[in-house]
Amino acid sequence: MPRKAFRTLNRILAQLAILAGAIVISVPSLYMLSASFMSSQDFFSTEFHLLPTALYWQNYIDVFVSFNFGNYLKNSLLVTAAVVGMNLLFTPMVGYSLAKFDFPGKTLLLIFVLATIMIPFTAILIPLFLIIRSFGWVNTYPGLIMPFAMSAFGVFLMRQFILAVPDDYIDAGRIDGASELRIYFQIVVPLIQPALITLAIVVFVASWDEFLWMLIVTIGDALRTLPVGLAKFVEQYRTRYELMMAGSVVAAAPVVLVFLAVQRRFLQGMAGLSGLK
Amino acid sequence: MQASTTASAPTKRRKAERTHIWGRSLAARKMRFGLFFATPAFLFFGLFYVYPLFRTFYVSLFSWSLLDEPRFIGMTNYVTLSNDKEFINSIGVSFYYAIGVCVIIWIVSLGLALVFNQNFRFRQAYLSTYYMPAVISLTVWSLVWLFMYNPSFGLFSEFARWLGFRDVRMLDNPATAMPAMILLSIWKGAPVYMLIFLAGLRAIPGDYYEAAKVDGASAWQRLWSITLPLLRPVFLYVVVISIIGAFQAFTPMYLLTNGGPGSATRVLSMFIFQNGFQFLKMGYASAASVIFLLILLVFSLVQFRILRFQQAE
Repeated sequence: MPRKAFRTLNRILAQLAILAGAIVISVPSLYMLSASFMSSQDFFSTEFHLLPTALYWQNYIDVFVSFNFGNYLKNSLLVTAAVVGMNLLFTPMVGYSLAKFDFPGKTLLLIFVLATIMIPFTAILIPLFLIIRSFGWVNTYPGLIMPFAMSAFGVFLMRQFILAVPDDYIDAGRIDGASELRIYFQIVVPLIQPALITLAIVVFVASWDEFLWMLIVTIGDALRTLPVGLAKFVEQYRTRYELMMAGSVVAAAPVVLVFLAVQRRFLQGMAGLSGLK
Repeated sequence: MQASTTASAPTKRRKAERTHIWGRSLAARKMRFGLFFATPAFLFFGLFYVYPLFRTFYVSLFSWSLLDEPRFIGMTNYVTLSNDKEFINSIGVSFYYAIGVCVIIWIVSLGLALVFNQNFRFRQAYLSTYYMPAVISLTVWSLVWLFMYNPSFGLFSEFARWLGFRDVRMLDNPATAMPAMILLSIWKGAPVYMLIFLAGLRAIPGDYYEAAKVDGASAWQRLWSITLPLLRPVFLYVVVISIIGAFQAFTPMYLLTNGGPGSATRVLSMFIFQNGFQFLKMGYASAASVIFLLILLVFSLVQFRILRFQQAE
């Protein structure tokens, strides 16, 4: 049966191609991890090292002790936690109002949200900086956090999920005499929990990655987040690749861990949102 | 988007009944609480995103270094821009980058999505592996690729030497610096669009393929006559958001080349950043932002239409 043999061969070739692709795609991540454990001798020796000759943990110690990465990590965690928390607090409420209420200005709000999704962030960088500056928020945590307190796409996501919540549940709460706030917190919020987890993941990744704004709004070392800290490190020590890679692993690890922990939900969330910040 | 339409029609019908049953007071209460829940968003999006849009234009009419008082100069910034070779160059560079990244990304990500739409062994594990570049931040990848592009001990050079070629010096050469950015951006961006395409492919009803199979359509025929036509809205969506995204790229240029060599990788966002925050020319950078906005407005309007179109479906 040549046809069947041909098909089997085809399938094996396809599997091999997918495997080869996976290897090529993984090279930069693996190389980053490998190089983060190399001593500077491994780099500057004439022969090429794909793997470190010995696991050189000193890079990680240096990054935290001699350089300020512990502080960057703290800032990143703090800013991201605040941004995720505020998004979880506010965007479902806004999504709820857009999904289940009629009020004056609803169309205007929708236009605001749509515009925010479509406006390129770079184009409003200067006025946004001027606003934050007039609040006295340059180089303060509020300045790092507030512009991302609500994700326009998060609002859309929430609206979409809450539209699927049956009105009867909400009305039943009203008939029982529950207040609107109680209806929201005890009926609506529990029903959209999966969406809230998706929202948290998406906002976490976006906030953890934010570079340009953090670059502009931080002055000096104290409030730098990991991306800015890394960038400034590179500007100063352009040849210390082993430390650069160790710092990169530190910056990458939290997102990768979250991704590995909740892969399917992560991918589902991203499929719905990706491309839109 | 689809959920919205299926739900909104019955809501409207029922609302009329409800108002009738409970009278005005409930409608009033709902209006109050709707506003209450929406107020933070009005303030937030209005202040941080909509108002700056107008402020950009306003600031662009001034000469202002942040250190002195703003001085009104009318359209002078725009006149200067139109004669600024750096600015004209940065528009060209942005288009070069955007087109280079987008066209290849569309093809690669659609291809990958078609592959992952099949069932094969370890599919989920492979999908996660292929998606990994999108998980880690662009800052980290920029550094890793800066390392890989290093002429003396980067991976590309090592590999070229192993094959018997000379060192690879992509970032030092004005002709190859941009392709180096494009390569990195495709590698980082393709998985994202792959996922969007995959979601689109999953939404195509399996019946169509069954029917085509019964009619004796080959795999290629099914691809050309069913998959691609039905994927058209997704494709349009990807086209627009990838272009808007590509025009905003900043991080790789900032970290790998800082706009150089020469001005080979000085994209528009780099131009705006440098003029605004390094040369402290707020008005001038704002004027460039306005032009930037106008360029992207075209794409955004298309996106708006697509979003509406999808909502109407």
